Amino acid sequence: MAKAQTKAASVVPFDCSGRDYEPVPGDFVLKEYGADSELDTNFASQSFWKEVRKKFFHNKGAVVGLVFLCILTFFAIFGPFMTPYSYSEQSAAHNLAPRIQGIENMGIFDGSETMTTTTGSKKYNGYAEGKLYDTFYWFGTDKYGRDIWTRTWTGARVSLIIAVAATLIDMVIGMSYGLISGYFGGKTDMIMQRFVEVANGIPRLVIVTLLLLILKPGMITIIFALMLTEWIGMSRIARAEMLKLKEQEFVYASKTLDAGSFFIIFKDILPNIIGPIITQVMFSIPTAIFTEAFLSFVGLGIPVPQCSLGSLISEGYNSFTTHPYQIIPPIIVMALLMLSFNLIADGLREALDPKIKEG
Amino acid sequence: MKRKRLVSVILAAAMAFSLAACGSSAYSDTSTTDTSSTDTTSTDTASSDTAASGEASTDDLKIMMETPVESLDPQQATDGTSFEVIADYTDGLMQMDKDGKAVEAIAESYENSDDGLTWTFHLRDAKWSNGEPVTANDFVFAWQRAVDPDVASEYSYMLSDIGQIKNAAAIIAGEKDKSELGVTAVDDKTLKVELEAPVSYFLSLMYFPTFYPVNQKFFESCADTFGTSPETTLSNGAFVLDSYQPAATEFHLTKNADYWDADRVKLAGLDYQVIQDSQTALMSYQNGELDMTLVNGDQVDQVKDDPEFLAVGAGYMWYLSPNMNKVPELANENIRKAITFAIDRDAIVTDILKDGSTPTYTAVPPQFATGPDGSDFSADQEKFKDVCAFDAAKAADYWQKGLDELGETSMSLEMVVDADDAPQKVATVLQEQLQNTLPGLTITIKVEPKKQRVQDMQDGNFQLGLTRWGPDYADPMTYLGMWVTNNSNNYGLWSNADYDAIIAECTTGDLATDASGRWAKLYDAEQIVMDEAVIFPLYTQCNAEMMKSNVTGVEYHPVALNRVYKDTVKTAQ
Amino acid sequence: MKKYILKRVLISLFTLLVILFVLFVLMQLMPGSPFNDEKLNDSQRAQLYAKYGLDKPVVIQFLTYVKNMLTGDFGVSYNISKNTPISELIATRLPISMEIGFFAVFLGAIVGLILGVIAAIWHNTIIDNICTIISVIGVSVPSYVFALFLSYQFGFKAKIFPMLFDSKMIMKSSVLPSIALSMFTMASIARFTRSEMIEVMDSDYMLLAESKGLSGRALVFRHALRNACIPIITVLAPLIVDLMTGSLVVEKIFAIPGIGSLLVNAIQSNDYNVVISLSFIYSAMYIFIMLFVDILYGIIDPRIRLSKEGS
Repeated sequence: MAKAQTKAASVVPFDCSGRDYEPVPGDFVLKEYGADSELDTNFASQSFWKEVRKKFFHNKGAVVGLVFLCILTFFAIFGPFMTPYSYSEQSAAHNLAPRIQGIENMGIFDGSETMTTTTGSKKYNGYAEGKLYDTFYWFGTDKYGRDIWTRTWTGARVSLIIAVAATLIDMVIGMSYGLISGYFGGKTDMIMQRFVEVANGIPRLVIVTLLLLILKPGMITIIFALMLTEWIGMSRIARAEMLKLKEQEFVYASKTLDAGSFFIIFKDILPNIIGPIITQVMFSIPTAIFTEAFLSFVGLGIPVPQCSLGSLISEGYNSFTTHPYQIIPPIIVMALLMLSFNLIADGLREALDPKIKEG
Repeated sequence: MKRKRLVSVILAAAMAFSLAACGSSAYSDTSTTDTSSTDTTSTDTASSDTAASGEASTDDLKIMMETPVESLDPQQATDGTSFEVIADYTDGLMQMDKDGKAVEAIAESYENSDDGLTWTFHLRDAKWSNGEPVTANDFVFAWQRAVDPDVASEYSYMLSDIGQIKNAAAIIAGEKDKSELGVTAVDDKTLKVELEAPVSYFLSLMYFPTFYPVNQKFFESCADTFGTSPETTLSNGAFVLDSYQPAATEFHLTKNADYWDADRVKLAGLDYQVIQDSQTALMSYQNGELDMTLVNGDQVDQVKDDPEFLAVGAGYMWYLSPNMNKVPELANENIRKAITFAIDRDAIVTDILKDGSTPTYTAVPPQFATGPDGSDFSADQEKFKDVCAFDAAKAADYWQKGLDELGETSMSLEMVVDADDAPQKVATVLQEQLQNTLPGLTITIKVEPKKQRVQDMQDGNFQLGLTRWGPDYADPMTYLGMWVTNNSNNYGLWSNADYDAIIAECTTGDLATDASGRWAKLYDAEQIVMDEAVIFPLYTQCNAEMMKSNVTGVEYHPVALNRVYKDTVKTAQ
Repeated sequence: MKKYILKRVLISLFTLLVILFVLFVLMQLMPGSPFNDEKLNDSQRAQLYAKYGLDKPVVIQFLTYVKNMLTGDFGVSYNISKNTPISELIATRLPISMEIGFFAVFLGAIVGLILGVIAAIWHNTIIDNICTIISVIGVSVPSYVFALFLSYQFGFKAKIFPMLFDSKMIMKSSVLPSIALSMFTMASIARFTRSEMIEVMDSDYMLLAESKGLSGRALVFRHALRNACIPIITVLAPLIVDLMTGSLVVEKIFAIPGIGSLLVNAIQSNDYNVVISLSFIYSAMYIFIMLFVDILYGIIDPRIRLSKEGS
């Protein structure tokens, strides 16, 4: 049904009001009510989602992104179990550089680091000094002697959970809010937009900080704080898209056919704007992860000694010039995570958008 | 965000201890630093050869500050940064010498009456930077402001509780008019101060900025804008403020040619730069944009071999306070002992803080209180080690005993800490140490902005609290007085009648006048605190700093005025 | 149109008033007080509360505050810069944050648009991939990491630009922070422009324009870009406010005396008036820009204007 109308909308030229089109009686019957909904052979021949899948896997970037995301998720789940260390376990092995079995013989990742001190560079191997000949920290250790490998993947878990939460918030709260507000317009829109303005007018930093001060810091609180703030951007996009589309002919057509408002919003319009919506979701993921990182920066994020990629970057940040290897793993994992999300978003967007043709 | 809020009166001899103790290996006495030292950084080697014979440079001293100035109103300021800047351009009756001892500044001479209740100061011919002479009335006006309830100075208790100036307490409470304060201008150059009780350290209060003079006529001409710009500040000190805005991140002072002791000041000016990011600060220092900077513990690995690196005493003692009133587990003495035995204080300072802070095993920190025999009250850090120093086996024993008494097998405790860098680091280590040594214990860390943490502790809304205390005056009582029943800083609401009796005896009782007897009794009091593990002392704070080798004569004080530049020389590079 | 704008302005003013009240209530919920220090006793605290009128009910405080605000008096700071009028604090700091923010938005929007358009035109080619990678890096790495990197490379190593903000050479010392801040905007705009442009260029109406014989450039700029603009502006607007009001971490790294760092310090030290004033200014800017965007929509997209005038 939705597809049929979409198709109808897209063949009508933009600046043509449909004057040349001769209505036939069948136009005014909701197709689902009759068996003749199969008439549109062009679309009925293959399932919509089958085509989406085909288009998606056709896109090299999207596949790369998906593979990366799978790898990262795999490590986020199993990475911490691959070492004998826990994310919070401290040891006397402070600030050790990365050392990996096998590769160390090639002269890299052998646990030595060249420290740039104010009195000149100094080559130093903490493993040799500490007589830790059989100890291997793949990503090195931090100032407490905690294993950065374990911490990085534990942190990636937190970021993935935040990403999922942000997506849900965007999709459930933000999108519905924006679509409803935009579609109904008039008084509904005005009241809903006033609310958005008030909610959004207060700096996010203030709301989130206050919430974390009032509530107990932790994952639930952070997600709750994100819930109060993250949906706003999405609601704006959804509303803007709605404003662009709601005056279009296929919507009028659907209205004429006596379709309910929610049917039009979610079945007719939503598929047409899924591209920008997914792009926005993918943008809100880094925003959400950055918000969490920022909170960790001011000491209100995930409580220590737990960690997220954000708090690991903040921690490594202070020793950036002293022990640069401490900040690199969380940054790379974070960047890869974002890269995957973005590539997948692009692939999905192109695959989902009925207006984009193959090739 | 470290806030230096210290009210301390340090006796001269204590200073030498504090600096030397803190620095151990790293500290280099700045006034005697050999500028031709050969093992400076590679970039500096060439220049320091010339520096050895160098003349005083016409350069400004470029100083890094961590926080902006909160107030340039001497009666409103409360933080170390503000105090330092105010003292750069204002002299009080007395000033701090190199060792922190009070020596004459605006006062040319002074007398104390036999009963110790009246001080008379004779003022020298000093001038404000607008040409007006500094008179006794400037002090009377300023001191009256300090106790005026309308001004609501946070440091008014310096005049009442600590300074014991006549009627100060009553004026602060609103019972008397501020004109009744026990300070009078006998004539333009003579100031008379009356006290409620003799105060042995009164002179050393006089270098504290709350007691600095303010010219009434000038103050009134500024209306509400006093101390917010170079135009609304008046100098009678070594430097003159010539660029400043409220909460400025960069500001500048120039040498005051009309300063009464102008010959002593060698620097052309002071160039302050507020940098909150330690990484940026160190890089700027290395690039020569700063002459001195604070170094974060994470960067110490990078600079520890540098002769320009030094550790400076900051005066605070950090300790863990258990809430014995609200948490039944912590009311158990064995559990408290287990906790204090489980803390490895050496590991905290050497592995994590790295800034020169010293582990502390006494309820009164070392380096500030000197006894009748001239020795530091807490010089002997071994004294209570057998009741608090790290000992996993003892900790486990007491822990088991405590658990049996409570009839439990495990417990979880929440530790509240400031959202600042150092407290969070310490808490992370403490959590691990305690959980590893005491089976069945789970510690959760609650990080809060400092203001909230203090409120939570004052309200008794905590289980374990990581907090600090800087000495108010040079006597162990500034620490021991806190554990008296119902003292507002006794967050854990500990109470012990014997202890209260000792403290009362030492404050107002028989021992108040018997210096050595009192000293011995104070050790008894400290013994009780340590035996019962009322608090778990952790470490005494130091700050890690870098200072260019061509700069000499910066005087560091852990309290009151953190840094004084009157004798500082910066030779040409 | 005039009536519509007037109506929007009035509504915005009302919104601001609501926000102000919400901020007041939030401040009341905030734990701790501005006057909490180990060394303050209860009577001193009471004295300070009385001095600043904080002992009065919230409603009274709110009314007093609104009344004072109408005369341009935002109150004084309690902690950060004791007794300094906040208007004065903001007057010196806001222009600096705005200037750096403006550079960042300008740079980000221009570079982002160019990248986005290029990527869309050569959609699914190596050029597209390169542009995508650049923009992905922009959204993937926090601005303070960029700031740290730039400050290390160009300030510390190469010494091309100052590492510390210097009020004597504002332009030069704004370069690095502006670039660091612009990365996120740049990346967001690039990605959004690309996705919008591809969508618009594939639309039938573009096919029509193409079939009418319009040349490539006119097609891209007159038709495609114009239509892609609406969602882009929607994304850009909040970014502008975020950047103009300063990014506190970047401000911290370059020691910039802006309002971002002021706000964080104020929140941490419970400096109520500073938090309220800065939040309020932020809100006012945000609402103003949103108003502007709404009006701009009408100009760009006639359909929205028509529908609004109709209602």
